[in-house]
This record gives sequence, C-alpha cells and structure tokens, in this order.
Amino acid sequence: MTVVSTIPTEESETETFRTHIVERLQQKELDLPLLPVVANQVLLLSGDPNADSSKLSALIQQDQALAGQILRIANSAACAPRSPIVSLQQAIAWLGMNMLASLAFSVSVQSGVFKVKGYEKEVRTLWHQALATGLYGKEIARRNRHNVENAFLCGILHTIGKPLLIHLILQARGDSPAQPSWAVMDTLIQESHILAGTKLAEAWQLPQPVQEAIRFYPDEAYHQANSPTKGAMITCLADHLATSIVDPSSLDEEALRALPVVQDLNFYPEDMDALLELKDSIQQSVEAFLV
Amino acid sequence: MTPTTSYDLVVIGSGPAGQKAAIQGAKAGKRVALIEQTREVGGACVYHGTIPSKTLRETALKMVHFLHATDVFDFRMRDDLKIASLMTRLDTVVRAHGKFMKEQITRNGIDRFHGRAQFLSDREIQVRGLGGNTTTLTAPVSVIATGSRPRVPDHIPIDHEHILDSDSILSLVYFPKSLTVLGGGVIASEYASIFSLLGVQVTMVDTADRPLKFLDPELTDQFCRAFEKTGGHYRGQQKVQHAQWDGFSKVTTLLESGETLESEKMLVALGRVANIEHLNIQAAGLTPTPRGLISVNDQCQTTVPHIYAVGDVIGPPSLASCSMEQGRRAVCHALGLNPGDAPEHIPMGIFTIPEMSSVGLSEQEAIEKYGGDALVGRAHFHEIARGQISGMTNGLLKMVADAKGGKLLGVHIVGEGATELIHIGQMGLLHHIDIDRFVDNIFNFPTLAEAYRIAALDIAKQRKK
Repeated sequence: MTVVSTIPTEESETETFRTHIVERLQQKELDLPLLPVVANQVLLLSGDPNADSSKLSALIQQDQALAGQILRIANSAACAPRSPIVSLQQAIAWLGMNMLASLAFSVSVQSGVFKVKGYEKEVRTLWHQALATGLYGKEIARRNRHNVENAFLCGILHTIGKPLLIHLILQARGDSPAQPSWAVMDTLIQESHILAGTKLAEAWQLPQPVQEAIRFYPDEAYHQANSPTKGAMITCLADHLATSIVDPSSLDEEALRALPVVQDLNFYPEDMDALLELKDSIQQSVEAFLV
Repeated sequence: MTPTTSYDLVVIGSGPAGQKAAIQGAKAGKRVALIEQTREVGGACVYHGTIPSKTLRETALKMVHFLHATDVFDFRMRDDLKIASLMTRLDTVVRAHGKFMKEQITRNGIDRFHGRAQFLSDREIQVRGLGGNTTTLTAPVSVIATGSRPRVPDHIPIDHEHILDSDSILSLVYFPKSLTVLGGGVIASEYASIFSLLGVQVTMVDTADRPLKFLDPELTDQFCRAFEKTGGHYRGQQKVQHAQWDGFSKVTTLLESGETLESEKMLVALGRVANIEHLNIQAAGLTPTPRGLISVNDQCQTTVPHIYAVGDVIGPPSLASCSMEQGRRAVCHALGLNPGDAPEHIPMGIFTIPEMSSVGLSEQEAIEKYGGDALVGRAHFHEIARGQISGMTNGLLKMVADAKGGKLLGVHIVGEGATELIHIGQMGLLHHIDIDRFVDNIFNFPTLAEAYRIAALDIAKQRKK
C-alpha cells in the first residue's frame, strides 16, 4: 500500500503561496490595504502649503493611540526633553511640526500595515529596518545636498511591499491553522516585495520620487531612477547602513565602504566615516520611533 | 606602491577656470592632467550654482510673462507648484552642458582623474580616489582651480533642511510660504528676487543699507522697488545675533536690534570660502591668506612661480567669465605664449529679477578719476517702444561720460536683457567710441538697444554750449 502524505513540504507550500501572490499582483483590481487614514491625512497635510501645526495637532488628537505614542516618543531619551512632556501640546512644541508629521506618519503606517498577528517579532524587525533607512537617508541627503524630507519618506516606505506580502500569504492560507514558517515567508518576500510595494505605492498615490525609490532602490536598479532628488540611490545606501544596524553580522564596515553605491554617490572615505559615526544616534532614534 | 605619471601641466578642478586652463595647455600641445573630485566635470557652477539657478530664473520669468498676459490666457499659478516641476529643464541643461564639456576635454586629449588632489611637494600632486587608491602626478607647472563653497557662519546652524545654503536651496521640493535670506550680495539678491516672484514671502537681511552695494545706487533702487512690488522686504543695516530652527514650525532670526523675524525656511548666503582644505598647499610652499584665499600676482602666479591659482580660490570678482579668462591667461603665461591684451573692461552681470549689469566706471568713480562733473545720460525702458511692446518697462540704461560729454566711461543697466545689452557698451568702451557715435548710428527698431541712443542724446543735450 502506498501512503501519500498530506503534510505539505516547505517547497510545495512556497510554490502554492508564490502562485497566489503572482495571481494577486497581476490582478487589475488588487485588494490592497488602505493607507491608514491618519497617515494619509498627514501626507496630505505635509504637501499642503496652507497647513499649520494646529491642523496636525487636531489630527493627532483624533487618534488616541497615536497621541499616546507621540507622548511616549517625546519623553524618550532620543528626544531628550528638558522636562517631562505631560501634554500633547507640549509634545508638539518640543518635537516640532516636521518631526511630528514624520512620527505621526510612521506610527500610523506601523500600526496599520506593519501589524501582522503571529509574526510580530519579524515584522517589528522589518519596521526597524525601514525606520533606520529613513533616518540614514536624511543624513545621506544632508551630506550631498539633496532633499532631506524626501529622503526620509523614501526610506521608511521603500520596503512597504514586505508587510503587504505577509498579508497576501496569510490570505492565501485561508482558514488553515498552521502558520507558514518565516523561512517560507522570507523567501517569498525577497522575491516579490518590490513589485508588491510598487503596486501599493501606486494605489496609495504616494509622491512620484517615493514610488521611484520603492521600485528602484536595489543595487542593480537605482541607475534606472531619474528623479532629481536621487531618492533611489540614497535609499540604496541607507538600506545597507540600516541592515548593518539590524543585522550587524550581515555586512561589516569594509563591505559597506566597498559598495558601488558609495562611489556612485561620490562619497570619499571621510564621508563614510561621518555616516558610520551616526550609528548609535540612529539606533537610539529608531528605538524611540518603534511602537 | 603609488604609480607616478608625468605631465607638462596639472590642473586641479574642472570648473570654468580649470577647464579653460586645461584646454589652453592641450591646445599648446602639452600633456595635460585634469583632476576633479566629483564624478562630473564643470564644478559648482554647473551643479549647484549658475546653471541651475538661472534655469529656475528663466522658468520663473516665463511664468511672469504668462501672468502679464492674463487678459489673453486664462492662467493662474497652481497652489501645489513645486520647484521640481519648475526645474524640468534643469536635468537636460546640466546633462547637455556636462556632456559638452566632457567631450571637449576628451577631444583635446586631456587625461581626467577622478579624486581629491593634494600637494606632496611643489611639483608632485597625489590624487586619492573614492576608494582610497592613490596616484601621483608630477608636472613642472600646476594650476589650482578648486573653486569655492558657501561659507558657514559659526552662529547659524545650517542643517540643509530648514536652514539652507546656496547649494542646498535647490534641493527644495516645494515652495516655503516664507523665506529669510541672510546676505545682500549677488547670490542672496538673485535667489531673493526669484523666490519673491514665485510668491514666497521673502525678507532679505544684511548689514549694508542697500543690497549689491558695489553697484550704481540707481540700479539697486530700481531692483529694490521691483523686489518690494513682488512682496519682498529688504532689512538693511541689521546684524543677525543668531538664527535657529525652533524645532516646531519656523526658523527664528534674532537681530541685534532685539527684533525677531520668523520664516518657514532660511537661506544663508553670506559669502563663499575657497576650497583649499584638502590641497595641503603648505607642502607646495604656499600659505593661505588670512581670508583663506590663495594670493596671486597679475598673471595669477602664486608665491611659488610655477604654481598658478585661478577662479574663486583667489577671491573677487569670482565671476565665471573672469575665471575662464584667468585660466587661459595663466597657462599662456606659464608656457611663454602671448595671451593677448589684458581685458580692460569686464562686464558684471547680476541675474536678479530684473537683471542688472555694469561695465566701466560708475558716476562716482568717474568724478573721482577725472575730477569735476561727469555727465550722465539716462534712458528709461518705458520710453522705448520695445520696452512697451514686451512689457519690459521696468528698466534703466545709464551712460556715464566725461565732463565734456564726449568720452564714454561706463554703462549701467537694470532691466530684462541687461546682461546682453551691456555688451554694446563694453564694445564702445573697448574701441573708445564717442558718445556722438551712439547718436549718429542707427539701431534696429524696435529694440532695447535704442536705449543707448536715447541715453547718448540725453548726454548731448547737457553739454555746455
């Protein structure tokens, strides 16, 4: 008698999910998660020349959880308040409009898209990486006189396709109680997150330079980007620097310095010295941003 | 071991001055090396300065021309207008310029080195590449043309996000509602007038009582009126105690008078400093001046005779046009070639809105040099048919002549087209053309050049009978 196993092997499981992902991403009407309402409003507010701090303040106050996070972050060591921050108005005054907008956006995205039951630790790592990329992006942009605000946005959203894929895989799993292993998830994420991110960015109508950074940030692709803000190239290096924080064993200092993007950004060894020196302060800021 | 290569001439920096120096050397049949620390050739002029800012200016002006024709076109400025969309031509212009220069350098057989140069001795220059690899070049003659960068004042924390300098100002992706511009020089005035025209509420702050103090006051008065008409303010005779991003929503500027100014962004344009910090000029036997410049004689020779310095590293006038000529003349001198007559009358072009340009003596300088009164002829653009036709009525051409009203001494123009129009005056000065020649000759009609004839007539009627 032949016994046929009904337990799916890792390979077959991966293939099933892969098929599902490809089908879903090819669909014209892809059922993508909405950009969290607050994040969307913050994004609109950032691009509104008539926006002021009172509008942002009002927006944050509508969302209790967000307001709480803002207070927590304002009191963290990274923000170094002179005295304890006890009110939202005080937090707003201390953090500043731009910082607050960045925080509100990132906290809101994190609470929405970057929230997947059963993979909290892994998703937190993804978010950690995205935040560190945004913060490094700002510093890279500052050094070569590109737009600092744009570099941050490109950085925190460049891998937005990753949590989307997790959602898609979990949808494909249906009612099955068994959770796919992270190894399976990770393989599929690495394969398709750029395509997924591109779709999501289009659906969310993110600014063109951000869409470009999501699509072209990898080493082999940033040359295809043509935005004058150089978001893709900046995000490429920022992503590598962020990886060196999240997973120090993956990329040592020597390997970072030898990356082609370092030369393409025209960074000399002393420029890289300055960026590498920021490691601790960026790590501290990331910890503050993490929900 | 570091490889060594010998050249007849090594030029450090590929901006306007370095490029012309290298080409002159190559044209003379010499083996030339050109060292540039950035990936592209052309220097700050192409990537952070003249070319991008003039592209922005041109686009802003086109918009103004549309606005002037609102009775014909149903045109209004979009609320979400972004700088990036105004700079659509920038990439094309910059790429075309860079490509042209690269081709010119290659065509002339010049060897390009990408890296930072530093002197090992007066005849040895080490080039350190991005990866830290080094090459040593030796040459009997070298030219320093490393340009300049914006000065960072100690009391103003430039973060390139809220408080910007003239390099980072063009990285903005949206127009701020308000902008404080620190400085009253060329760069400050150019950007202040462009942003003001584009609807940004601009306040210029400077220690001088008027911007561009070195220009004829009638020109700057007209500039100030135009600037104020677009909503700009000039706050003269003011010292800034400190300025900072308030960490919230605005940059606050505390003046020594105790007054506080607030704006969304700030542009700091308080001069430029020479790029000499990586050069190790001491190893070549050179010492920077107290202002951080390299001092040279009339031939652009430094205190080490076979090392020349040209362009912004030697200080004023810091005009791209002069820098190019300095580069060419320095190499001619080094190679014993005749550089031709030294330029006598160098025009100065300020790309503010409206443009200003000047050549020769000002009214005050003419009085000081020749004694007695100088005769001044004026032509207002609103008196000229072309000015009316083109809507360019806000302009003035001023001719300065000797007391007899016969000899042309200087021309000063404010108004659109000033930087082109000035060249007629320049040629007049170079060829010692009498004031009457401007009256007797015929200019195309209707053109702004007619202003020369009107100003000359104005002088003629003031002559003592």
